[in-house]
Amino acid sequence: MDAHFTIWLLGVSFGASMLGGMLGMASGIFIVPVLVIFGHIEIHRAIGASIVSVIACSCGGASSGLNARLTNFRLAIVLEVATTLGALTGVLLNGVVPIRFLILLFAAILFISAVQMLSKRRVSVKTPQAGCRWATRFDLHSTYPEPARGVDVEYKLERLPLGMSLMYGAGLISALLGIGSGVLKIPAMDTALRLPIKVSSATSNFMIGVTGAASAGAYFMQGAVVPSIAGPVALGSVVGALAGARVLLRVSGESLRLLFVIVLILLGVQMLLNGLNIHLF
Amino acid sequence: MFSTVDPHHKTKRVSALERLLAKLLSYGTWIASFIVAIGIARAFVDANDVRLMKAGIGCLILLPMLRVLLMLFLFLRERDYRLAIAAALVLAIIVAGIVIGVHRGSAIAG
Repeated sequence: MDAHFTIWLLGVSFGASMLGGMLGMASGIFIVPVLVIFGHIEIHRAIGASIVSVIACSCGGASSGLNARLTNFRLAIVLEVATTLGALTGVLLNGVVPIRFLILLFAAILFISAVQMLSKRRVSVKTPQAGCRWATRFDLHSTYPEPARGVDVEYKLERLPLGMSLMYGAGLISALLGIGSGVLKIPAMDTALRLPIKVSSATSNFMIGVTGAASAGAYFMQGAVVPSIAGPVALGSVVGALAGARVLLRVSGESLRLLFVIVLILLGVQMLLNGLNIHLF
Repeated sequence: MFSTVDPHHKTKRVSALERLLAKLLSYGTWIASFIVAIGIARAFVDANDVRLMKAGIGCLILLPMLRVLLMLFLFLRERDYRLAIAAALVLAIIVAGIVIGVHRGSAIAG
């Protein structure tokens, strides 16, 4: 293990995670491209390291959502059946799919994320809904506190089967690329289930750890998680996420968002070139 | 201030389960990250010794499984069998992943 390389790994994962934490989003999506493009790390090893850091950030950040009663843990465990099943499929595919396909898929996810960051998340309908009967059967409807009014707001879930299918896809992408795959979780939570945004963010973050464990367990046992890479990346990410959540925003959220979009597009272009065998770095 | 709070809609308090899950996950992350940190320090001294780092990473992967196991027990205790089955399924799927990994690992080694 090279000390300079370790420090570099700690630094980049800390930086990516801190930026992510400032916007309240996961930074897993940056880790793999940075490791592949600038660290020249083989993509399977980069994915193995990234998924461990994704788990660490999810577990480390879970308590805030739980203590604020925003995490719907009943819904989480039901959706996790779908996400872990998707992750298991991703693990099986990961050994078969050509590396070039993984890199190009990653580029596509980076571009989709950039577009998603530019467009505003739609606010779910406030009027009380009938709710999906599957969700009623599992007693998944819940309430969340609205501190401004000092009351608990009731919400009901819609279209649980559609939400489950999208979550399966999110789990698959998560395992295949070593990311938390918020890209697919946000539409599933906002559009299919119609959850309030605060609830969907907290619940989605809560689920990422378990989803990640389904693929990380496999990658760890097969030797794709290299300790000298995964260790520094995980530690850097955890500390970075903590720092990011505490940092006082001196720049506006909007310009930070724009910076994120630019970084996502640049990494996407670089991954695309990499996938087409054009190397600039 | 208290007059603005409708007594019928007072916010509920954080449940014991939520508090327990929050504690497990945050203390677990701290402990695992600490082991990884010690492991990194160890590897600076002896580059070939990554055992501690590997152990810390293993703890990080085990932590969500522990969380599901805890939920399984609590749902069983509340006789909420539907969610207990969901939790058991999630655990089974994660274990299946580990089994696949072990098989692949030994295939690579052998």
